[in-house]
Amino acid sequence: MSHHWGMAVDLDKCTGCEACVVACHAENNIPTAGPEEAARGRAMHWLRVERYWEGEYPDVRLKFRPVLCQQCDAAPCESVCPTYASHHNDEHLNAQVYNRCIGTRYCANACPYNVRFFNFFNPQWDKPLHLQFNPDVSIREIGVMEKCTFCVQRIKAAEITAEGEKREMKDGDVKPACAQACPATAIVFGDLDDPESRVSRLFASGRGEKLLEDVGTKPNIVYLKRAEA
Amino acid sequence: MTAIYGLYDRPEAAQRACTGLKHAGIPSQDIAVISGEPFEAFEFMHRDHSMILFRLALIGGILGFLGAVGMVVGTEKAWPLVTGGMPIVAWYPNLVIIFEMTMLGAIVTTVISLLVTAKLPRFGKTLYDPAVADGKILVGVPAGGKADAIRETFTSSGASAVKTIEL
Amino acid sequence: MSAYSEQLTEDLLRPLLKTSWRFWTLAILLIGVVSLGIGAFAYQVWNGIGVWGLNWPVFWAFDITNFVFWIGISHAGTLISAILRLVNAEWRRPVTRCAEVITVFALIIGAMFPIVHLGRPWLFFWLTPYPSEREIWPNFRSPLVWDFFAISTYLTGSSLFLYLPTIPDFALVRDKTTGLRHRIYAILALGWTGTTKQWHRLESAMQIMAIAIVPVAVSVHTIVSYDFSMAPIPMWHSTIFGPYFVAGAIFSGIAALIIAMAGLRKFLHLEQYLHPVHFENLGKLLLMMSLLWGYFVFGERITTWYGNDVSEMTAFWQTQRLTYAPLFWTMVTVNFIVPVLILSFKKLRTITGCVVASFGVVVGMWLERFLIIVPTLSHKPLAYSWGHYMPRIPEILLLIATFGAMVMFYVLFSKVVPIISIWEMKIGQHPQLAHEHRTADESATMWRTEP
Repeated sequence: MSHHWGMAVDLDKCTGCEACVVACHAENNIPTAGPEEAARGRAMHWLRVERYWEGEYPDVRLKFRPVLCQQCDAAPCESVCPTYASHHNDEHLNAQVYNRCIGTRYCANACPYNVRFFNFFNPQWDKPLHLQFNPDVSIREIGVMEKCTFCVQRIKAAEITAEGEKREMKDGDVKPACAQACPATAIVFGDLDDPESRVSRLFASGRGEKLLEDVGTKPNIVYLKRAEA
Repeated sequence: MTAIYGLYDRPEAAQRACTGLKHAGIPSQDIAVISGEPFEAFEFMHRDHSMILFRLALIGGILGFLGAVGMVVGTEKAWPLVTGGMPIVAWYPNLVIIFEMTMLGAIVTTVISLLVTAKLPRFGKTLYDPAVADGKILVGVPAGGKADAIRETFTSSGASAVKTIEL
Repeated sequence: MSAYSEQLTEDLLRPLLKTSWRFWTLAILLIGVVSLGIGAFAYQVWNGIGVWGLNWPVFWAFDITNFVFWIGISHAGTLISAILRLVNAEWRRPVTRCAEVITVFALIIGAMFPIVHLGRPWLFFWLTPYPSEREIWPNFRSPLVWDFFAISTYLTGSSLFLYLPTIPDFALVRDKTTGLRHRIYAILALGWTGTTKQWHRLESAMQIMAIAIVPVAVSVHTIVSYDFSMAPIPMWHSTIFGPYFVAGAIFSGIAALIIAMAGLRKFLHLEQYLHPVHFENLGKLLLMMSLLWGYFVFGERITTWYGNDVSEMTAFWQTQRLTYAPLFWTMVTVNFIVPVLILSFKKLRTITGCVVASFGVVVGMWLERFLIIVPTLSHKPLAYSWGHYMPRIPEILLLIATFGAMVMFYVLFSKVVPIISIWEMKIGQHPQLAHEHRTADESATMWRTEP
């Protein structure tokens, strides 16, 4: 059975706690940049929580929006990569092949969401953090682009498990690190090819809006609108 | 083969020499005129025209075109990776590559054709005199039995020097 | 040989045959500057692109600015030389080789940057289509791969366009030198003697090259502009970029040519051959390109302003009023206001006037490329991800080294090759002798297919 992975992020439930950001770092072996490099703008947050202030004091409102790779079906990052390091796979994921990347950074420039990150230096971890890598995720070397993969290692693991157990995958088999960590269950992940999955129902709910939809990138993530207060 | 040549200061004199040589019965393809610049206004330069380089450049362009089409279509079909929602064989970007390789084919073919038809590079003894670098025009013919008549023609048309060379 | 031809040959061969301490000092100085750049590059390869000022989200800045700038400079050369040849403009004769030299060396410098800017530059060859054991080919949909093909074609074409008409001059130098120099020039001259067949084949080849190189030159900078316009981000995704960049390239190239010619005229004492009228003619071309550049910039900005799209106007105001306004208005002044003022008036269109305008244009065109790249990248649609950029020492050293490299290549080239085409200048003395006066009947029997 083919899969079409998608994600729904409920902006009404998101509290901006950034547990998802931390979980993503831990799951995907993302290095920390350190204070100096972060000040230079080299921090890598595959998933970031954007914070926007609206209005003037005292009528200030705070909005959070977790932004991650939208796995666009018409991804501008894919057609500009000279080495096919960024391409679309048949499960509607934007695949980043680290070994093919020569670091032109064109993909990052073409991405309207700014969700792609570059290894400006060889990644480093202060001891003893170098002992807590996720063995399912490769460490990227200097000069290579990286971004959210919808935790493709978990997707693959679940697919292999399902095949081993000789069954179809069911909704909830795959939970990316961010969805797993979110205390508000604001992030829902699943198979859009399965009309009964939670994410398919959220896509169809009418509350969903895609980010920068008019750019024409055909993202695979919907943001469920906040209820007006 | 022995060749006799005369060196001339002015193209008009060289023209007189060529005309005189033709009158003396030397076939025109045996008369060589060598100069440091082309004097197209004179009859002695009116030979060896050819459209061959243009034709070969066209063929080179066609070969570049076919090579490019083969490369882009072949490689895109060999590894059909979807990028940006574009088709596997995407004609818009392919046309860019095809254009460049067509032009490259024409350019490279032109240069190779030039070298081949002008018989360059050519080292070893050829009909030449370093005085050509000083602006002299060299008119030369193979000696072939008419040596005296040839020398007479050269001197009477105003050659500043008449020399013999073994090739 | 006429007295003029003798003087011509002596003047144009003098730099090849005589060398002073001034040359050696200049050469060593320039090699030093270039070495600084090479050192900066080695430092960056060893430590990572992180030693530059690039960051998230400004992933391109000085590197691609330099790339586009130098490819742009390369446009005047071959384009001017080719177009002037095609329209038989007699005043081109002392200018063509100077221009062609700029093209070749500016291209070489520009073409380094697609390699220099890579995160893993040792893998740059993955851009070439070769049957690799990884069983994968380059992505022909990527403008970077188009860059590779376009620049390779243009570099090949320009180098050959430079070399072919130099062959008769190499033959001349061969005959005027002895020893090792004689042997080297003899090889370069390929045994050229100057038979009618050789001249005619050379002229056919030059004709074809001139015709072919013009569309290639136009396509090269169009393709370089596609590096930006194929990305759907504000003020990059513009349909005008192709013609805009080509016009800008020719503009910067003419400016570079004027500066180069002024330098040659002064330092190689070529006052006899590079006359004020040559600078005047190029100055008029520069004026025209300045007006054209202004037209394109105006067109791009007025349509953006009328469109009033939120994301586009963010990037728009960055250049016009906010962070990058000082650079933007400097660019407008030195690219448009100053050149138009200087070059519109014959009294000001002197060699000095043209050179002053040209220096301004060179600075302005570098700024233009920078202002296309950085304000947009630092202000994409999602406001939370806005950033900023400041260059760091390795990038600045690389920039300085490119200018050093250009001057160095030029100085070294004019030491070993006559910088003005001697045989074409000789023809220029009596242009009426260079053209056939044929009747229709003669033309009909003219063409034989004798290869």
